[in-house]
Amino acid sequence: MALSGFRAFGSRAIPQTITSSQYRHLHRFLSSATSTTTSGGSGVAMAVKKVTLSNFCSVLEDLRIRIREADFVAIDLEMTGVTSAPWRDSFEFDRSDVRYLKVKDSADKFAVVQFGLCTFRWDACQGSFIAHPLNFYIFPRKELSVEGPTNEFLCQTTSISFLAKYQFDFNACIHEGISYLSKTQEEEALQNLCSAYENVLLGFSGESEEYVEIPAVRTADVFFTERMKIRLHEWRENVLKYPEDPILKGNDCGQNVDFQMVFFKMHPAIMLNGFTSHQLKLIQLTVIAVQVLRKYFKDLLYLCVSGENCSSQKLVVYTDSEEDRASLMQEVKEDQLRSGKLKIHSAVGFRHVIDLLMCEEKLIVGHNCFLDIAHIYKKFIGPLPSSMEGFALSVNKILPHIIDTKHLISSNNFIQYLMKKKNKSLSSAFSLLCPQLSSPSQNLASTRSFVKVDVQADELGSSSWNSGAKHEAGFDAFMTGCVFAQACSHLGIKFEQDSLIMDLARNDNLKSYINILYPSWNSGTVIDLRTGAESPVSCYKRKYPKIEFSNIALIWGFSSKLKPKDMEECLCKVFGTASVISVFFLDRTAALIQFNKMELVNDFLVLKDMLEKDDGPVSVLHPLAKLLEGGNTRAADYNTYRDICSSSTSTSRILFADQAEAIGIRWKTKIRPACKETSELDSLKDSVSEHQSDKNDSEKQSQHQISFEEMLNSL
Amino acid sequence: MAAVAVGKARFAGVPVKQVTKSNFAAAIHQIKADIEAAEFVAISTRKTGDFSSSSLRHPWRRVLPIDTSETAYLKSKLAAETFELLQFAVCPFSIRGSKVVAFPYNFHLFPRDELTLGMPSYSFACQTSFLASMAREGFDFNACIYDGISYLSRVEETKARERKSGSWMHTVTSSQNPSVADSIFKERIKSRVTHWRKACKDTSQAKDGSLVQSLRKLVLGGESYGSRPGMSVDICSEKQAQLVFEILEQISDDLVPILIPDNGGQPKAVRVVLTSSEEDKKLLLTELQNSEDEQNLKLRGFRQVIDLISSSHKTIVSHNCLHDFTFIHEKFLGPLPETVAEFMCSLRLLFSNVVDLNHLLKEFGPLRKAKNIPSALSYLKRQYFVPMELEVPEQAEDGNKSHGNNVLKLAFLFAKLNMLLKNASSSRSALEQAKSIEDYANIFNPASLTLHEPGDDDDDETGWQIDTTRTVSTDNILFLWGFAGATSSVELKHRLLQIHPVFVGDFDVHFVDKTCAVVVFERSGSAKILLKDMLSVDTVSGVLRAMVVEGFRAAGYDAYKKVCRLGLWEGDLADSLEIALAETVEDLCSLSRTNTNEIRWNSEMMIDLNDL
Repeated sequence: MALSGFRAFGSRAIPQTITSSQYRHLHRFLSSATSTTTSGGSGVAMAVKKVTLSNFCSVLEDLRIRIREADFVAIDLEMTGVTSAPWRDSFEFDRSDVRYLKVKDSADKFAVVQFGLCTFRWDACQGSFIAHPLNFYIFPRKELSVEGPTNEFLCQTTSISFLAKYQFDFNACIHEGISYLSKTQEEEALQNLCSAYENVLLGFSGESEEYVEIPAVRTADVFFTERMKIRLHEWRENVLKYPEDPILKGNDCGQNVDFQMVFFKMHPAIMLNGFTSHQLKLIQLTVIAVQVLRKYFKDLLYLCVSGENCSSQKLVVYTDSEEDRASLMQEVKEDQLRSGKLKIHSAVGFRHVIDLLMCEEKLIVGHNCFLDIAHIYKKFIGPLPSSMEGFALSVNKILPHIIDTKHLISSNNFIQYLMKKKNKSLSSAFSLLCPQLSSPSQNLASTRSFVKVDVQADELGSSSWNSGAKHEAGFDAFMTGCVFAQACSHLGIKFEQDSLIMDLARNDNLKSYINILYPSWNSGTVIDLRTGAESPVSCYKRKYPKIEFSNIALIWGFSSKLKPKDMEECLCKVFGTASVISVFFLDRTAALIQFNKMELVNDFLVLKDMLEKDDGPVSVLHPLAKLLEGGNTRAADYNTYRDICSSSTSTSRILFADQAEAIGIRWKTKIRPACKETSELDSLKDSVSEHQSDKNDSEKQSQHQISFEEMLNSL
Repeated sequence: MAAVAVGKARFAGVPVKQVTKSNFAAAIHQIKADIEAAEFVAISTRKTGDFSSSSLRHPWRRVLPIDTSETAYLKSKLAAETFELLQFAVCPFSIRGSKVVAFPYNFHLFPRDELTLGMPSYSFACQTSFLASMAREGFDFNACIYDGISYLSRVEETKARERKSGSWMHTVTSSQNPSVADSIFKERIKSRVTHWRKACKDTSQAKDGSLVQSLRKLVLGGESYGSRPGMSVDICSEKQAQLVFEILEQISDDLVPILIPDNGGQPKAVRVVLTSSEEDKKLLLTELQNSEDEQNLKLRGFRQVIDLISSSHKTIVSHNCLHDFTFIHEKFLGPLPETVAEFMCSLRLLFSNVVDLNHLLKEFGPLRKAKNIPSALSYLKRQYFVPMELEVPEQAEDGNKSHGNNVLKLAFLFAKLNMLLKNASSSRSALEQAKSIEDYANIFNPASLTLHEPGDDDDDETGWQIDTTRTVSTDNILFLWGFAGATSSVELKHRLLQIHPVFVGDFDVHFVDKTCAVVVFERSGSAKILLKDMLSVDTVSGVLRAMVVEGFRAAGYDAYKKVCRLGLWEGDLADSLEIALAETVEDLCSLSRTNTNEIRWNSEMMIDLNDL
């Protein structure tokens, strides 16, 4: 079985990292990662501490100091999925805003299940970094009475299978994962709590006073109510009779466990145990109704207080006077407010870690971390801003120093040389840049100097350790940090000399890399978090020529038999052989058509609209008719593609056409609102009917075309 | 060894056979026999969510007492499309006198993309509270995700086959008018195969050395298929494959053709295998059939079990049939149809006989208010003497045995009810109408769920409430929204009393979600009057006018149906109703289509309001 084999590898490796004597003498021990064994290739066995509900509080305490002392903090997230539908994948035909919308959709829908965090501190005496990797299991559980972070989240089947392949422990995650509340959610919860408190103080105690209805009940209820009335009455008499010690003296009438005499805040009270909620409601109604109607139990008060282990306890309390009653109420309410606040504080859960990172303003290191940052924002701060620029600026406010190692290693020439232009995945970067850590057994007859990294671990207990394997958030965070440290040394940062105050976030050598993230693998652009501006980067080889998005038309709902080749052929017949640059299928129901001229988009839409309105033989014989087969073909310009990408129904449709339908698109063709070209429209229509005839005005039109990049630059 | 469970721990201690990927192939043979031998099959499922647990954000997405079968179906459809199955318990059982003989199985499922086709599921939703409560019961998620059995629905299987058609069974249809090229191809292949066959049959080659043998192999293009000699004939079209098949039939009976597809599923070559005798040919054919079956099992996965149940034509017992069978249809048959009538038709083709315990309980007077299986069981135990024993003849070997034992409770409850009904029909005293189980088949009751007040969780006992059944026509139902400030139904009721004379009569108000309330009128026609008056607000004065100006709105049941039909599940009900009302013009075509069968539905659109 793969599982047991894998586990065995991990557990075997841990004892090798630490000898038992070391463990005995030093509760806190250091074990150089260089002494760990490897099992072929880049596999490293290393203990990464597993953090769940049970040990979260203690870990958080330690972490406070570790983060404060850290020089930088590496992070990595594991999610339940990346794309909610195939067409939500990142394509080269995605404009910057579309790309952000896709990232936003991903962060909105999927859950974070693991948060890897590794603090790195330079130890001048040792001459090495001390890394402390942690692996937090996260689950958006609803905590206590506070509404949870999310009702529902999406899982991508392949991502879940991927996690399973790397032995992700789903039971640990769901059974004991740490919950969280975002800042916005916490504020909301506090507001609700306070307004409820205000209402109570102002006397709006719900419906109880004004509109009490005694429901038409069955006879059993009437009997029960009468019996309760008598028992309450007896008890009250007792309290009045023996005011000094009603519990002792009054025992004759209330020996039952369900009617337990207690003192509540110095007031005699009955604890109501073992009643059903229906019966409790009847008791409450009895107390209130009798109060209101006959002014009889005026001095009795029905209370619901939260007791230990979060269960609410129902009480009937005796009060001496109106003032006494009021002050008791006030006291109870304040208690509730206090305990409510405590509950919210504990429901904040894992976000306390994020708060630590934010208030210490540490340098955050991630590998290809745009999506990770989006998740952090969505889960722990609040709803994602609607635009990429807004997002960048808000992120910069809360996490002022972020560095992406993927960007770092791909944009530095020397590192690129070292990497031999190999792929930039985290594990390959780790094994190439940090061979001393990834495969220490190898003889490194190299002149390169390697940054030493020691792994620190504490309270070693077999149960709370993860094996430290690839694609486990804690270990990935560790690798990211190591790659970063090594890259820093290649950039000429001398840790040995800067040992006193090492302010990496403001280091000149890193200046050009900090706060530069790149939004997706094929964008060829980076975003500067400080300005929110996106710009192309030379180091990324652009595989495709620059794309004019205004030349692109969107078409969907066509026959499933239609292949890209057929579509191109069909369009070329109408608009000329060179008119279509490419046809890109988003999925089998939708495609983007890139024309060579902007006006062809409109020509196409107008022509399609005309053919659909026309029932004559022309519409059947027209070359475009093949596209319209089935009668469900819809078309629009590129902005509609963006609009559909921005639609976020919680149940995302797998097919693009279904999503378009789900968000209520009923029209067939959306012709671009012709702003200044209205006059041209008619002539266009004419020219469409005799297509191919006019190709000469392309030069005239080209000056209208403003490339997206130019627009961005002008901003 | 038989385990006869008695006493309180009747179900907890009973071992249920846990089936995962590793023991699935073996279990399928076993369950096949068990289903054949059984009278009934009880089923129950565990999902990643189903909208029935308290969802604070969209409480109206649950199946509510105000839902007709149509809207309830649409809600169940949404759930089936959104969520995923994690466990599917199947229990073939028979009733022998006062004994229930049961063979419980619990299948762990995960929609893993085994064939990298993007099927059965690209992504699915999980309800946080649902998973958390499953975790509290000790649910083993790792078992499902690591070792769960995957599956493809019938529709998906067809699609998968289209994409990688690898069937060796090729129907030989004679090509009508062969072209010249075809006949040349045929002749060439014929001579090649005949030559090769002769060479293989020629026993003299045994004398030759190994070098000569391998040379011959090289020259003839032969290769062995297992222990049998074989050769490949390259082809470039479906038609050529057919031609090769034809020729082989002409040449000899001892040649078996196997179609070899390329990666894209197009036929690439035909492998010709020479069998030594008639028996050998049979053997080869069964071998091929077996590997085909294996391939099918891999393709269909757990659906094989559904197919077994379906083809056995046994009576299926389930609780919350509408919920379970929308899932079954969506996951194992194909996409759910638009209307409940189509759904029932389509389902009938798969399962001819289904008993909904939920419906049975509703019909069985005293149990009408039983919310769940345990409460129904405990009621029966208290009130009736039904001697019934549960026997599970097979012991599960190991593992977490109690997973999926809910299905045993279903079987047990069904057996008890069955006996009660039988007794009743013989004595004709205990129950008003004597019906047999057969009368209850194939009627689904939408899962009845009371509107929970938040925080009102501890009401296990209150499953028994006042016994009032009331059916209300949808004509008497109105949805109201835009009443600023009112937060409780009592408060709203007080306010409504002041705004219009129709509220003088008896009526009920309930909140569906925080934005929208439903009003149920006693007197028919009241709803229409209010709607009319609200539309002609100029002629109406007073409080109603003031409220309408401030945004008070009402809509009839049609608008609600439209919300469900259009799938406007996002957001609050009030918003969705507004959208539905606004869309009247654009949606004309779809309205006219559905109107025809709506009239038929209207007459019987009565709903059970005892839970309101």
